[in-house]
Amino acid sequence: MLNTLPLLVVIANMQVVQPVIIKTPDLELEFTARTPNQMGSFYEARGFPKSMLNILKKHCYITAGLTNMSDQKIWLDLSRWEFSSAGKPLKREHRDYWKKRWQDMGIPLNKQSTFRWTLIPESLDYLPGEHEGGNLVLPFTNQPITLKATFSTGENKQGKEIIITTDQLFCAEDEQ
Amino acid sequence: MKSLSGFIKLNALIVIILINASVAANEIDIKPPFGIRNHDIGIAPDFTLQDIDGETFTLNQSKGQWIFLHFWASWCGPCREEMPAIQRLSDKTQDNKFNIVMINTAEDEDTIFEFLATIDVDLNSLMDTDGQVTEVWKPRGLPTTFLINPKGEIKYQAIGGREWDNPVYIQFIRTLIVSDD
Repeated sequence: MLNTLPLLVVIANMQVVQPVIIKTPDLELEFTARTPNQMGSFYEARGFPKSMLNILKKHCYITAGLTNMSDQKIWLDLSRWEFSSAGKPLKREHRDYWKKRWQDMGIPLNKQSTFRWTLIPESLDYLPGEHEGGNLVLPFTNQPITLKATFSTGENKQGKEIIITTDQLFCAEDEQ
Repeated sequence: MKSLSGFIKLNALIVIILINASVAANEIDIKPPFGIRNHDIGIAPDFTLQDIDGETFTLNQSKGQWIFLHFWASWCGPCREEMPAIQRLSDKTQDNKFNIVMINTAEDEDTIFEFLATIDVDLNSLMDTDGQVTEVWKPRGLPTTFLINPKGEIKYQAIGGREWDNPVYIQFIRTLIVSDD
């Protein structure tokens, strides 16, 4: 998803950064920060109304891709992903929050639908070899972001848990 | 005569049971190749949409065929990449028991026209302009393909782009078509 956007982004200190890639024997995760203008341009090209764009441009976007490298099922559950920055929790808005917000603003249904498609699902089971992803939308911060992500495994989520932690995530900013 | 009639009825019943058992076994035996997952979730939700030529399509009127139901959008990179492979799949699986049905998600007619012309495929697409059919179907991501059997039941799902004209997928689809004969 969104793979037409450039993989390289410019962060606040103007460094060009590569995507953050985390590899374990069971799971591979790739995180790519998107600048507000990148995302704004994407949504604007889809005809999103200005009221929607104004809100979206104030947030932090990280495209996450997950690949199941193991031989068993791995379960994504975003409620088990904990984001924090500068020692404080960073609250990711659930897709239901966005749905209600767009509904309250009277945003056309097709724009609501397209926006939802750009988000990573709240929960998903990954078969061996499967790759899926989408956007995480976070409040903007200019501090590094820490993520602790916990995954269940096995057909009935009874397998060993996988815990991934990283403090390498950032919000991307546009060049001033 | 009465006993002969009873004998015929019993034999007919046995034949029906054997045929049903055979079809059931066929469906169970067909293991999907890598990239396609079993997705046996029951009857496919019906919908009616118009295609880019203004023709109306209703899913429930397509029973008796395997339906390759494909959700896509022009902004989705993998959708763009796999479209030519779907065209080749279409070319290689000309069968009145198999129908490729494309649904564009939440884009307008001009965007769909322009996109299909740009990638030079001869595929029609239904237009889910407000995205509400897609909302009901809830594909896991875009692109997503559902395979629906001739009874109107969802049986398989493929998420993400696939080389649909790969012999493995072609063979799988041909096996499906034959299984419900």
